[in-house]
Amino acid sequence: MSTLGLLRTLFNPKIVTPNAIQLQSLNRSPFLVGLFFNHEQVRTMSRVKRRTTHPPYWHVLKNNQRQDEKISSDNLRFVREVIQDKYKNKSPIKGSDLDIEKKEWDPKTKRSGVIARNIGVQHMWEKDGKKVVCTVLHVLDNHVIRYVPPEEYAKSIIGAKVFRNRKPLGCLVVGAEAANPDRFTRQYCSLFNEVGLLPKKRLARFIVTPNAVLPPCTPLTAGHFVVGQAVDVYGKTIDYGFQGVVKRWGFKGGPASHGATKFHRRGGTIGTGRDKARVWPGQKMPGHMGSERRFCRGLKIVRINMKYNVIYVKGTVPGPTNSIVQIFDTVLPRRKFTEAPPHPTYFPPEDGTLPQEDIWDSSLHVFGSPSISV
Amino acid sequence: MRQLFANRTSSILLQEKCDEADEKSVSKQKPGDESGNTVVVAPPEFRFMYPEFLPDPAMERRNRLKEKLERIDMLQRRSVVEIPEFYTGSVMAVTVADANSPNKFARFVGICIQRGGSGLRAWFILRNVVDKQGVEILYEMYCPLIQKIEVLRLERRLDESLLYLRDALPEYSTFPLDMEPERRLNNSVVPINPLKVKLRPRPWLERWERQNLQGVEDLNLPQRFYDKAEKVAKPWEKYDLMLQYRKTIPAEEQEKIFSDVHSQLQQQEFKRKMRRRRGTDNEQ
Repeated sequence: MSTLGLLRTLFNPKIVTPNAIQLQSLNRSPFLVGLFFNHEQVRTMSRVKRRTTHPPYWHVLKNNQRQDEKISSDNLRFVREVIQDKYKNKSPIKGSDLDIEKKEWDPKTKRSGVIARNIGVQHMWEKDGKKVVCTVLHVLDNHVIRYVPPEEYAKSIIGAKVFRNRKPLGCLVVGAEAANPDRFTRQYCSLFNEVGLLPKKRLARFIVTPNAVLPPCTPLTAGHFVVGQAVDVYGKTIDYGFQGVVKRWGFKGGPASHGATKFHRRGGTIGTGRDKARVWPGQKMPGHMGSERRFCRGLKIVRINMKYNVIYVKGTVPGPTNSIVQIFDTVLPRRKFTEAPPHPTYFPPEDGTLPQEDIWDSSLHVFGSPSISV
Repeated sequence: MRQLFANRTSSILLQEKCDEADEKSVSKQKPGDESGNTVVVAPPEFRFMYPEFLPDPAMERRNRLKEKLERIDMLQRRSVVEIPEFYTGSVMAVTVADANSPNKFARFVGICIQRGGSGLRAWFILRNVVDKQGVEILYEMYCPLIQKIEVLRLERRLDESLLYLRDALPEYSTFPLDMEPERRLNNSVVPINPLKVKLRPRPWLERWERQNLQGVEDLNLPQRFYDKAEKVAKPWEKYDLMLQYRKTIPAEEQEKIFSDVHSQLQQQEFKRKMRRRRGTDNEQ
């Protein structure tokens, strides 16, 4: 290896991946390359496709083509009744069934998550009068569809990537929003045959430790979470479409007046003439903005309504109103659980007593209580 | 004494005197639906008395469940604090808990110049001139710091928004801070004050000549202002049905919403009236 190369490896201890681009400036002296003028910009995301309009190739074809079946309204009603009878949406699983195999909770347990719909934003107030913007999340009719044990999951395409250098965990497939089987293909409906539930519009995978496994057909409700805990919410951001450089990247554009000719919201220069003599990959330009999967971490749950299965979370969540999100226990180390949560999930009490309908966090002002006097 | 406390929405008292004008205020009972139960329909004035119960009409952000839950919370708050009926142009007094005040409570009197928001975000702005300084305060109707909202003078003006008072002579926005609540002679109708306000000479904060204000005296501007206003005007908007449709909640939905809310509000009114009567009896 040349001295130049040796010096570069000594002063630039970066792992070179195929996607990374390293700029080796030949104009500068070798001693200074790594120390002060670090021209190496690792652009690992420049070649990665951020969104697709089609599902992964291993997914089953989901939606049926709409067929104009000319059946009378009476027959249609009969068909619906048959579907209702065949697929009872009520789960036969009760808490007592799980007592036999109930496993202990420990701080390293990963519980299942839940699929919910972001139904809007509501303003609430804390006990000192400070306003708090809360997102309202409606936990849909979640049921566990399938459990994939760790060994099997580690062999799958995604599982192999996720657990490449660590101990594999299991995967719970959870479905939400039951719908008429007519709108789905036969292959998609067959995914739910074992469970005996109406096919679900939404499916999601949650990584769980083996001690938090839930049997198929278990319902997941808002009671799965505890008021005061922190959660991570994962969703697809608002789709802004094709956007210019000012909105997409926050460029300043050009002057609105003072003789500026056709230069108000443009990007300006896209590179120098000297280094590399081309446009670098990752150059910020107009393009599609939004509709990307993002996490909002560490959001606190301030209120749970058990009757309507609704969670109020402090802060905002990725995505527009009425979009689907996934909620999990937080990953942030200082906001994790110190005491055992409902493990592996919440079950209503056996003796038929209803749980408290509306549970509020202690910091919030309850609307029915007297006005705050400071 | 009792008649003065009578509220026109109370069906108990109205059954005694059924005038033409009062018939509108009686809650109607629809001929039964399929199940045979009679459906109580709220009086049509509810959408003016309680406009914040109607959600934001933008369809992308609407969700029935969330609106329902929000309405439950609003009614809970209303059971603790009386939020009276008011309109832009009414003179109101609001008492708010304030840590920096000497009594820990701050009371402000002013004329309501604008109201907006839906649900728990509903707000209104009160304006007054204090020590020759115009002061406007925006209050959130459902904020728990608010101790009391009193309507000192319940009336309406010719416009829905009185922002032009900022450019008007100060006497139109001045109200004594120790103003007493005024007693209304006719409880069934909210009077419309046909006052025409005199504006100060230009410059103004907005182009008032472009806004079709009814409650303002003749602006006496040069003709070029009115010509420009005509050029910029959109006279076709009053024929645009879809625009109106998109800005409002359909009548059927309004009926549904208010019939939900109506019975609870009536109950709260009744309890308050009882409390007041017991209070006056105790005083006597």
